[in-house]
Amino acid sequence: MSYEVMVGNKATAVGCKLARVKVAAVFPITPQTTITEYLSEIHASGDLPNFEFINAEGELSSQVIAQAAEATGARSFTCTSGPGLLYMHHPMQETASKRLPLVMAVVHRGVKSMQPDHSDLMSQQWQGWLHLYVENAQEILDTTIMAYKIAEDKRIRLPVAMGYDGYVLSYTAEPVEIPAQEDVDKFLPPYKPMPGIFPVSDKDDKWRDFEANPKTFGAGWGEGDPMKPWQMHNEAALNGETVIKEVFAEWGKKFGRTYGNGMIEQYRVEGADCVITAMGTIAGTAMAAIDKLWADGKKVGLVKIRSFLPFPRSDFQAIAKNVKAIGVFDRSCQPGMWGPVYHQMRSTLYDEAKKTPVIGFIGGLSGKEVRVADMYKIGEKTLKVAQGGKPEAPIQWV
Amino acid sequence: MHGRGGQGAVTASRIIATAAYEEGKYSQAIPMYGTERRGAPLTAYVRIDDVRVRERELVHTPGISLCFDPLLSLQQAVANDLLPNGQVLLNAPFAPDKSELAGNINIATVDATSIALETLGRPITNTAMLGAFAKATGVVKLESIEKAIKKYFPGRLGDMNIAAVRKSYEKVSPWVPAKNKVAPKMQVDLNVGGYGTLKDVSSWRVFYPVVNEEKCIGCKTCWIFCPEAALEWKANNKPAMVDRACKGCGVCANECPVKAIEMKRVEI
Repeated sequence: MSYEVMVGNKATAVGCKLARVKVAAVFPITPQTTITEYLSEIHASGDLPNFEFINAEGELSSQVIAQAAEATGARSFTCTSGPGLLYMHHPMQETASKRLPLVMAVVHRGVKSMQPDHSDLMSQQWQGWLHLYVENAQEILDTTIMAYKIAEDKRIRLPVAMGYDGYVLSYTAEPVEIPAQEDVDKFLPPYKPMPGIFPVSDKDDKWRDFEANPKTFGAGWGEGDPMKPWQMHNEAALNGETVIKEVFAEWGKKFGRTYGNGMIEQYRVEGADCVITAMGTIAGTAMAAIDKLWADGKKVGLVKIRSFLPFPRSDFQAIAKNVKAIGVFDRSCQPGMWGPVYHQMRSTLYDEAKKTPVIGFIGGLSGKEVRVADMYKIGEKTLKVAQGGKPEAPIQWV
Repeated sequence: MHGRGGQGAVTASRIIATAAYEEGKYSQAIPMYGTERRGAPLTAYVRIDDVRVRERELVHTPGISLCFDPLLSLQQAVANDLLPNGQVLLNAPFAPDKSELAGNINIATVDATSIALETLGRPITNTAMLGAFAKATGVVKLESIEKAIKKYFPGRLGDMNIAAVRKSYEKVSPWVPAKNKVAPKMQVDLNVGGYGTLKDVSSWRVFYPVVNEEKCIGCKTCWIFCPEAALEWKANNKPAMVDRACKGCGVCANECPVKAIEMKRVEI
């Protein structure tokens, strides 16, 4: 193991190298651009054997090239930001429908400004990918490697998007421990491609097994039930909750670094009256606020949401039993529908016997800085609701 | 950390972060990016802690402020919002008791520009500040800074930069409490984070565009190429500079097909 003080974007590129990525198809866009530069340097150095670096002419192409490379059996990678991700929208659906375990880094850049928020990746919820949100440079490197293991798992076979905030993480340098290549090789075996599988008839139940019943990529126009590919896709995405936990547990055992259970990371939740939630870099800032709240005798915990898709349903159903309120922080807003995390949280807890109030906060949009003091206030407001108070509004702007 | 684009403040922040990690501490170096241009004021932030730094807001109340530029060292903004008894290390050719910076702060100075010119032959002051930083603050050891520099500058370039570090380690002044306690009311805001179109960047200009309306054919090529939307279109179909938005890059003059735009030196 070695270390380097590196920026978030370099951690992604080093993660790709350790995962022995065979094809990277990329198109530069701020704040993702330096990933493409680091990958191009890795390619030029010759340190990564059999690595193809492809300069695409746009994001639509970079997604299609990475998708095609993945279909030929090469472990592939692409990355983008904000508007670049929106431009990829159409082929992203295909990558997921063809059940190709591509990994993509999304360096968050908002859709109304060049500065970061989560509106880019949140806008791709329907594309059938798994969505992970990470907080620091070490987590980026580790998660890049783990994302391949999750994506390539037989129970999943879906592409994974790893989102992290542009600028404050993509360009911030931090010490990052670099695991030894041979240890990563033991953790992440070479990619074993499997053809897509789709039902030929309703009675054919072998479609669940990729190996036993190789057919074709993508759903055909056969006699099978046209709903079955959807059913399979949904099932695979939901399997994420199990597989993500397994992969992160194995990583923790082998490399000594854990990120909660992979789906969520809890910080000072034990004994707390209420919890707040946050994703990405804001979770790190929130931790500093939580320490201050406890120091002031205010028992507020933090749940960092690592996987938005699938949503950590069982985890939050368990947490809700022990707290009196949950304050949800959203770094994106769907106009007319408010924050997506807020909605997921409320739907997750709707059927629970114990009703735990869930209040929403929207902040950090278009790169507005979220400070420790902001998260402290959110903690206080949530605590007030936990103590029986009424929130000023069900959802508040920070 | 305050500097100008090209002085290496961002690299310096990473070198300090690396040196701290070499000594078993965790660190974080955040650069503040905006509209980038050589010579524009910029800021970078470093946090050092015994545990992994997870907080990610910018450092709004630093314990130490470093200024890499002799002119910015005259601006009160580099000494504002420090913790009580904060330390302000300036690149300045004068003794710290000559500094007019005000507040409950301690000031030290080093003539980093001269050191950089002597050792590197160029006024890139980052490494010439780092030796002074190690000596004056004691946050990291000189050896750790040198070790970190070797990671960023291999070979001869590393040796030259290490020479700059050692010289500034020797030459930095002792700390002196600021003689002025109250800061002046009128201050220049050095925070140019964000984008040029949103900020006043008029102070960055060394040259500014002047349009010869006789020659101008109103083709709007300058308006299309201006990277900062700093040209407005007048009723007579001729361009004019938007004072707040123009950073003086000269792209308009370069692109004008009839050479109707001249870049004139700003007079001070």
